[in-house]
Amino acid sequence: MRFLIALAWKNLSRYRRRTIITALAIAVGLGVYLWMDAWIYGVKLDSQRNLVFYEMGAAKVMKASYWKDLGSFPLKESIENLSLVEERLRPLGVQMTRRVPFSGEVFLGEGSLFIRLEGIDPVSDGRLFRLKESVEQGRYLQPGEQGLLIGAGLAKDLKAALGDLITVRCRTRQGAFQTFDLEVVGILNSPNPQVNRRYAYLPLSLVDEMLQMEGRVTELVLFFSGWDRPEQKVEQIKTALADLPGLAAVSWKLLASDYFAALRGDTIGNTLMLFLVFIIAAVGISNTMLMAVMERHREVGMMRALGMKDGQIRLSFLLEAAGIGLIGALGGLALGAALSFWIVTWGVDYSSLLEGMDYGYRVKGLMRGAWHPEAFAGAFIFALLASMVFSFIPTGRAVRMQIAACLRSQ
Amino acid sequence: MKRAIFALAVLIGAAWAGRAISAEEIIRAMERNQVHDTAEADGTLVITDRFGSRTKTFKSFSAGEDKMLIAFTNPEEKGQKILKLQEEIYLYFPEAEEIVHLQGGALKQSVMGSDFSYEDLTGEKGLLSLYDASLLGEEELDGRRTYHLRLKGKKSGVAYPLEEIWVDAELMVLKKANLYALSGKLLKDLVVKEVKRIGGKNVPVAFLMRDKMKKVSSTEFKLANLRIDQGLPPKIFSRENLSW
Amino acid sequence: MRLAGLAFRNIQRNRRRSLLSGAAIGVAALAIVFMFALKEGMIEDIAGNVFKYVTGHLRIRHAEYDANEELNPLHLRIEDSSRLLAQLERRGEIAAAVPRIPFFTAFYRGERTVNGYGLGVDFRREAGVMDLDRMLQAGGYPEAGARQAVLSVGLAEELGLGVGGKVTLLTKNMYLGMSGMTLQVTGLVRLPVAGFNNRLFLLPLDTAQSLLKMGDSVTEILILLQDRGALEPEAAALNHLLAAGGRQDLAATAWTRLGSWYSLIRYTDAAYNLMALFFLVLGTTVIINTTMMVVYERMREIGTVSALGMTQGQIVRLFFLEAFFIGAIASLSGTLLGIGITVPLSLHGLDISKLSEGMSLEVSNVLYPRLNWKSTLLVFLYAVTVASLASLFPSLRATRIEPVEALRRV
Repeated sequence: MRFLIALAWKNLSRYRRRTIITALAIAVGLGVYLWMDAWIYGVKLDSQRNLVFYEMGAAKVMKASYWKDLGSFPLKESIENLSLVEERLRPLGVQMTRRVPFSGEVFLGEGSLFIRLEGIDPVSDGRLFRLKESVEQGRYLQPGEQGLLIGAGLAKDLKAALGDLITVRCRTRQGAFQTFDLEVVGILNSPNPQVNRRYAYLPLSLVDEMLQMEGRVTELVLFFSGWDRPEQKVEQIKTALADLPGLAAVSWKLLASDYFAALRGDTIGNTLMLFLVFIIAAVGISNTMLMAVMERHREVGMMRALGMKDGQIRLSFLLEAAGIGLIGALGGLALGAALSFWIVTWGVDYSSLLEGMDYGYRVKGLMRGAWHPEAFAGAFIFALLASMVFSFIPTGRAVRMQIAACLRSQ
Repeated sequence: MKRAIFALAVLIGAAWAGRAISAEEIIRAMERNQVHDTAEADGTLVITDRFGSRTKTFKSFSAGEDKMLIAFTNPEEKGQKILKLQEEIYLYFPEAEEIVHLQGGALKQSVMGSDFSYEDLTGEKGLLSLYDASLLGEEELDGRRTYHLRLKGKKSGVAYPLEEIWVDAELMVLKKANLYALSGKLLKDLVVKEVKRIGGKNVPVAFLMRDKMKKVSSTEFKLANLRIDQGLPPKIFSRENLSW
Repeated sequence: MRLAGLAFRNIQRNRRRSLLSGAAIGVAALAIVFMFALKEGMIEDIAGNVFKYVTGHLRIRHAEYDANEELNPLHLRIEDSSRLLAQLERRGEIAAAVPRIPFFTAFYRGERTVNGYGLGVDFRREAGVMDLDRMLQAGGYPEAGARQAVLSVGLAEELGLGVGGKVTLLTKNMYLGMSGMTLQVTGLVRLPVAGFNNRLFLLPLDTAQSLLKMGDSVTEILILLQDRGALEPEAAALNHLLAAGGRQDLAATAWTRLGSWYSLIRYTDAAYNLMALFFLVLGTTVIINTTMMVVYERMREIGTVSALGMTQGQIVRLFFLEAFFIGAIASLSGTLLGIGITVPLSLHGLDISKLSEGMSLEVSNVLYPRLNWKSTLLVFLYAVTVASLASLFPSLRATRIEPVEALRRV
């Protein structure tokens, strides 16, 4: 066996050019596949990220009766035993921030608009959500201030600018009418258009005071690693809170079912495209492997003439193929990683294409990729196997031929 | 001796007459003029916002404070009915095959786009059950002597936590009301435009409600052919009867 | 000796090798042709869906409607719509003009209300615009004037209704009064614009007009043109027509001016084209790779003919011709095969509904690849060129080596 490995290795270096070209074919095929996959994955992840890190969090804990009536923001259905809930969740590696969303009427010009307001704790919220980074004008909220942070789209609709006073009319937890006069301290432009157009943020302490919340909170927003597959964590959360009555733990997927359909999910065309890339890569690999082996009938003939057994010959070729496959796959990983790095870090900026859109604010035209380790692993294994498989067949032919025929061919 | 007793009676009477009236008494007197055993009228609602004015006409029936039926007669909403039974609101639409029972948050919606919400219709069981009233004094409003009262919500759930009302001192009828939010901001005001003397009562028959936070938003409410306490068949205030 | 004849003989001499190389080039050409058609199909599909269901090529609305769109201002309407429609249908440039009334509503389900988005449509006219047959999942479409509707699958699920069920809806009519009506569900639909599938329902236009008290008015007319390229001139012509007819309150807007939808399409277009480009690069690599291999495998041969007196120039030209012939034949076959696969699919459609599982964005369940003859021809020429040129590098390198060296390489 050692001899065969050594033979295979020697052959690889002997036919350096062939090895390189073949390995290159594998590498390019693999690299482009991984790059495209990273792109598609990134776009999908981006839209999910937009939901999670700008709007919903990875999951929410709320009272079951609140969840049932989510659209009306029933302030009376606040979370009971809030500190106990938080205590239970902390050891699960879950990070939390408290929120009180409510609906309010804002007055502009001649009419009014109903928007969604979120009472947030600027400290914890600023750490977990990415809204802070999206602030385009002014600044993020400070705890306790009479300030409002609004989306750029909303600012445009209200014709509001930094420093303007906005009046909000709403109902308290008990049902009394309440009004706020808030100064616009910041305008944000996030990748989430819904947030930009219909959300406004103000400090939780202010909301607590004005809406008669008395320290109660209606939503506990959770973040955890592995947010893209939240089901398992949500189950853990449910278990941890099992004995506390009337609570619901909901993942962002469930919360977003309304939006979900409208997001850039996995389009079928993308899958088809990847499949085609796959095919071409397979063709590239198989083609070169086949050719490489085919050209060596003489060699095979000689080896047989010298007494090597058929099995040994096939094995040696297989090992060679594996070797090329390995080099190629590694190269492919490197190329894929390099291309992915480009698209993950900088992405492709389409903003210039989208400029001149009469939409008031810039639509972010940045397409970013994302690291997809499973794809790397899977593709690596495939490249390796494919190389071996595609060398198997021609080798078989070679060993079946007459030795003399082998020697004669070239 | 008789002259002395007479003089004493006059003195006591004068003292009694000169005694200051309380806020609660004013409100009760006002509500006596507003609440009737039965009442029916032809009504008009003129709703104005930045898109213009729209007029709705209706027939209204009420019994006490608990029961009310409004049947719309204008062409666009003809046949629609609103039935109030205690705290519950039921809507009937000619083109619907079931009766809509408005509940919860839906009650906060405005009626026909006016400045009244269904919640406003479900009404309170009298102001005094919800508010603590205090008499701030007498004022002149549009040439009439009025009592200026402040009403502070007793519990935290009252929709308008603070109200100021001006009651016509002579007619004991509401002249104007200001409705405030918890923050103290003026939300709406209500002005009584016309009062009629019917069945021994001074009844407000026309008033205007304005949303003071919007530039252009008002609802004008008028009652004509008002008949009070002349009896009404109780079955008209039933769900079954809505679909006649 | 005639190099061309020699080239031909060489190709035939080592049939297996030629076939292998040709196959790779052919597959690459085939895949590229198919890929381009697929991406075109996807872009057209997404654009087409936006046109058919949202914006039309042109859209006529009341001039102030868009500014107040959030409030669903029914009173900002197109009055006397039948007459205007008749006028529009007489224009040759217009392929279809459909009247619609979108409106917000709440479905009454006892204790809870479910929000819905209604669309009053003329089903007879829509047959030329919406893909009514493909949309229908169950049941059938309503009759004109009847109190019936088809619900999107998501909405039906939310309401717990199936075909034959009844539901009462409450909405604000044009006079800002309330309207209520009970509708019977005659069928369920799934629209290709995914965002609509949770809230949308369709009902006959006259029923909607009766519900909303709109008489002969509608809020929008969607127009599809015979020639999409004539967008701007037709928009101008229509606006002129409207003004001339005394209807200055109306405006015809091209889809290119409708902010977010326009950017969606441009973004999609750019994204898919970039992917196709990289796919092309991949295909190119395969072609280059295989051609190079062919040359490198024949080092001995090069050495032999070189020793026999063939000049470098002749050898290079020989290999060039060989690569050219193989490339031409292979590319032609591949392209023809690509056309052969794509054209029937473009007529029949590629049914991907089993793959999609309902998670697609604006992509229908059936894709129609679109063949562009110009680009197909270009692909053919491209493949031939690349194959031919790819032979140069190795052959130039090979011929620079001493014949003795070449002979030694096996």
